[in-house]
Formats: sequence, C-alpha cells, structure tokens
Amino acid sequence: MRPYLFCALIFFGMLFCQGQNKQLLYNVNGLPQSLMSNPGSSVNFDAHLGIPLFSKFHITAGSSGLNLFDLFDDSKPDVNKKVSTAIRRLTRNDYFTLHQQLEILSFGWRLKNGQYLSAGVYQEMDMFAYFPKDPAVLVNEGNNDYINVPFDFSDVSFTGEILTVYHLGINKKINRKLTLGARGKLYSGIFNVSSTKNTGLFTTRNDPSNPNFFRHYAENIDVRVNTSGYASLNNSGMTVQQSTADLLKRSFFGGNIGAGLDIGGTYSLRENFRITASVLDIGFVYQQHDVENYLYYGSYATDGIEPLFPDVPANNKTIPYWDLFEDEVDRNLKDETVHENYTIWRPLKFNAALEFGFEEMYEDCNYRRTYKRRNYNLVGLHLFGVKRPRTLNVAMTAYYDRKFKNNLRAKISYTADDFSYYNVGLLVSKRIKKFNFYIAADNLAGYLNLARSQSASIQFGMQLIFKKP
Amino acid sequence: MSFVKLLKKPLVILLLCVAMGSCVKGVDLSQTEEIALTPDLQVSLLLFDVTNADFKDKDTGVFTATIKDTVRLEFLDDSYIQDDLTSVEFSFKYTNSFPQSFRNKIYFLSENDNVQHSLQFDIAKGDKNNPVVTDWVEVIENDRIDVIKRSIKMVVELEVVPNQEAFEGELKFESKGLFSFEF
Repeated sequence: MRPYLFCALIFFGMLFCQGQNKQLLYNVNGLPQSLMSNPGSSVNFDAHLGIPLFSKFHITAGSSGLNLFDLFDDSKPDVNKKVSTAIRRLTRNDYFTLHQQLEILSFGWRLKNGQYLSAGVYQEMDMFAYFPKDPAVLVNEGNNDYINVPFDFSDVSFTGEILTVYHLGINKKINRKLTLGARGKLYSGIFNVSSTKNTGLFTTRNDPSNPNFFRHYAENIDVRVNTSGYASLNNSGMTVQQSTADLLKRSFFGGNIGAGLDIGGTYSLRENFRITASVLDIGFVYQQHDVENYLYYGSYATDGIEPLFPDVPANNKTIPYWDLFEDEVDRNLKDETVHENYTIWRPLKFNAALEFGFEEMYEDCNYRRTYKRRNYNLVGLHLFGVKRPRTLNVAMTAYYDRKFKNNLRAKISYTADDFSYYNVGLLVSKRIKKFNFYIAADNLAGYLNLARSQSASIQFGMQLIFKKP
Repeated sequence: MSFVKLLKKPLVILLLCVAMGSCVKGVDLSQTEEIALTPDLQVSLLLFDVTNADFKDKDTGVFTATIKDTVRLEFLDDSYIQDDLTSVEFSFKYTNSFPQSFRNKIYFLSENDNVQHSLQFDIAKGDKNNPVVTDWVEVIENDRIDVIKRSIKMVVELEVVPNQEAFEGELKFESKGLFSFEF
C-alpha cells in the first residue's frame, strides 16, 4: 500500500482538506513564525532571518465528514453504494479545505526602542468548498425518489485563491503586562474563484391539478461564479513559459491587489499566567484584472411540450416545437458570461488562548530583553476560528509546551475540531547555535493510516535566530 | 535534566515513526474505476388536450378520423443520452370523455424518418360525465436502448373508432420518461 501514499496525499490535497489553524505554532514565542499568527506575541529574540523559501512551509488538508476509508474500504466491494451512503450522510455544512503557505522571505529585527519589526513575503493558497448536498444527490440519484422535494442550489458554495502576501509588522511591549502588535499586508492576487451566494430551487411536482404527470420548476435560480486570473490562462493559448511569466507578474502586483491587517496582543495576568489573542486577515482583494463571471439565473416551469395537432402546412414542415421550447427556456433561464469587477474579503481568522507556566527557570537577568521565558513548562487552551461563507469554523486546542534545554523545545497538542476529536499534534524545535529548525505535524494518529484520517497537516521551517548576549 | 534525556529520544523517534510509518491501509483505490453515477430522472415529455374540433380540417371543416403530430426531442441526440443512457421507462396516460374509443400509435423516428420503435394500444371509450383512463407503460432497456439513441422524433397518431354516439368530448394525454443513466 505504500505506493498509494503519494496518491492518497494528492487525493486529500485536491479534494479534502481544514486549513488555516496553526495551533502548534501559536504561542511558540521562540519561533519568528509565531508572529504570523499573533503579531502581539511576546517574542524573546532580537532578530531573525528566515532561510529563503525554507523558513516556513505549511500544508493542511481536511474533510469534515469523509475519509478515504468511507469510500474505498476494501472489505466492502460495492463502491457506488458507499458513495451513495456518503452523499446521503454528508450535510450542506460539511466541507473540504486545502490550505498551503510557503514563506519566500522572512526577516525581523529589534529597534533600539525595543519594538520588534518583522517583514517578509509569502505565497498562500486557500481552497474551501461546502459539500453541495442537493446538487450531488440530484446528479447521483436523479429526481425519481425526490418528487415534490426541492433541490436547493444554495448548497453550492466554494472559494479558492492563490496570492502573494507582502507584510510588515510591529510588535511593542507596552508595559510589563501588555504586548501589542499589528501587521499590515498587501495582497497580490494570482488566482481567485468564488461562488458563495447562490440561490434557487429545482423541484419536480406531481400535483394532480397539473396537466401532465409532472411539472418541473426552476425557481429563483441565481448562480454566479466569479473568477479572476482564470480566463486568460484558459482561453489565451499561451505557452507554459508565457503562463509562468504571467503568474510571476501577478505575484508582483501585476494582477489584483488588496490590503489587510493583523492585530494581536499578549496580556500577563500574573508572571506565569497570560492571555493572548489575535485577529488575522482583516482585509480584501479587489478583483479587477482578468475577471470573468459566469451567471445562470431566472425562473421557469414546464409540463412538457404540447403539440397542437395542426394539419400539415403547405410546406410540409412540422412545427418546430423543440426550438420553441428551447427559446422559451433561454428567455427565462439566462446563461451569461460577463466581466464585472468584484471584491473578495479574506477569510477572517481569530485566535485566543490562556496559558499557564510552571517549573520556573532561571536565566541571567538582561534588561534589554522584552520577554524571557520563565517556565520550562507551559500548558494552555487555544481557541481558533475562521469565518467561512456560511459558517464560523472553530477548533479548540489544549497543549503542553516543554522547553527541555535552551536548544530544544517540543509542544504536544490535542485539538477538537470539525475533523476529529482525536487530533494529537506535535511540534519539535531544535536550535544549533543561531540556526533553528522546526517541524510540526497534526493528527499524528491519522498518519498511521491516512485512509481513516479526515485531516492531515504538516509544517516545517528553518531560520537564523539572533539573541543579544 | 535527566528528564530531557528521558524524553528527547522518544520524541524524535515518534516524529520519525510518523514520517516513515505513514501509510494507507484497508482501502482499495482501484475501486475508483468502478465509481459510477446512476441517476434516474423523471422527465415530462408531451401533453395535449384535444376535442372534436381538432378532428376537423382547419380550412374546410371536414371531419378527419386520424390526426397526428410530430415533435423533435433534440435532447435524445445529446452526448449524455448517446453515451450513458441505460434504460427508459415511458409512461403514457389518456383520459377520455369521448363516447368513442381511439386507436393510438406512438412511434419514434430517426432523422431520416425511419421507425426505430413503435407502440400501439387502444384508448377505451369514456363518457363526458365519467372520463375513462387508459395507461400504458413501455420499458426499453439493455440492447434495445439503441432504438432510443437512434431516435430524434416522437410521433403521436390518433384514430377515432366511429360508433353511433355523437362525437363530442375531450381526450387528454400525459407522458413522461424515466431515464436511467450510468455516468
């Protein structure tokens, strides 16, 4: 089965994937990447420089209601029965996500006034789709068993984006108890697709008052798919080299641009007890370049085609009933492609955590440090949420963070989210002089058999971290 | 710091186990080749409501015993029909308040007007106060489904069976198809 591992990862990557929650990096103040999940972290280093392209890679995938085993259990050969069972079991609020980040540049330094500036560039991909329950049932089973039951097209809701983010953040210790931070972001959109506010019902009714067995209703259909950065690649006939050049251009503000803000803070209630919180990606991208919107809207009802039994006309041609029917459908259910600019709000995220430290550690006192880790052990509770088109998806994490030595730290977490109540994750961060490497993986038990896992996440990075003596 | 030594190796081993030991067990991904969507779609087809006026020539007013009409069903030529249709169950229903019975022929024609499939049944006579319903179900499946795939027109022909009663009434026709696919 090992050869299937790669295929399985790709499969999960393409179809299933929870994104965005980086509970293993949150509140790990020894890592510069913690500033990306909370610009108000109490960082305890004086400068950092990420290894370009290797300072952070993160990919996470999840499906809130389905795993490979549900569909391909080898003890149950009838795969179509399993597919049908899965489609019936999933709800319109089940979802699939794929989230990936690659840090291109990352650096930071402490100013003379004690504030910490950090900046960098990263590329991000975020795909999210609710399970389109009713359309899936219609496609898989048809309407035969659903007479008088409406199929709701508002179940169709998905977003996807690939962008480059340029950011600059500041972190300031206000007083002994409070640290605040903010990060400004400029987004350079590479690709976007969005279809989130669809409406419409399709119903087949057998009302005895109707003149035929059934009357088909398409009511208040309003389906819209917005895209940017898609049409030119799809229609232009560009070569791979030209397409690559175009994508690179978009990465450097050659396409759609936007702006955003992260804010966060840390407040120490006691020396070893603190609360942290952050709100990330309060921002938007204005899509105006290479925009194409696909619209399908209208209402229509039909009993079928009604022949009029005329005498055969002089030209011996029958009445074109089908053409008349199609014209009527086209007049009432319109299918259009337009080019209208649109604004996409980034998926807003928030973090909030309580953290308690114990087993006090002693280091040489240094008044220039803005923060010193005071405990070998930290335990905490972390709440994460991300706003999606229809729902606020949350995850609750309990963690234990242990610093073994100055150069070795590990964090183990337990997370309950939409994917699992058994998600145990582990982060290990190792420092060799100025060089630091970390690796973190979520849902460790799931790796033992990815087929039964509904989510998988891995992140790693390496950077140089400097502390003044 | 013996605690460090105690936990350091297990942590590294655990991460290595995760990295090296990840696998996919208990699944047969070759089943992907067997996945098929099999919707059964109920689709309204033709309907009409004829009276004695429809059996008169529009120009001369002369009674004609047989009337017919042809409707193109262009969707029968679409790829999802040609490639994925597995069976069709046609249902026809007449509600007759004429005191006469009718001979009914329904046939499916190719583009060149060659008959691909036909069916014929009698419509029972009724009464204006007590219309009589005649139902007919026609199932076409397996190899015979090609006759539908080759068809593009549907023809309905009605022939009055005369009797001594006055020719007055109404004949309603309903039809639907239950199209079964395997995509």
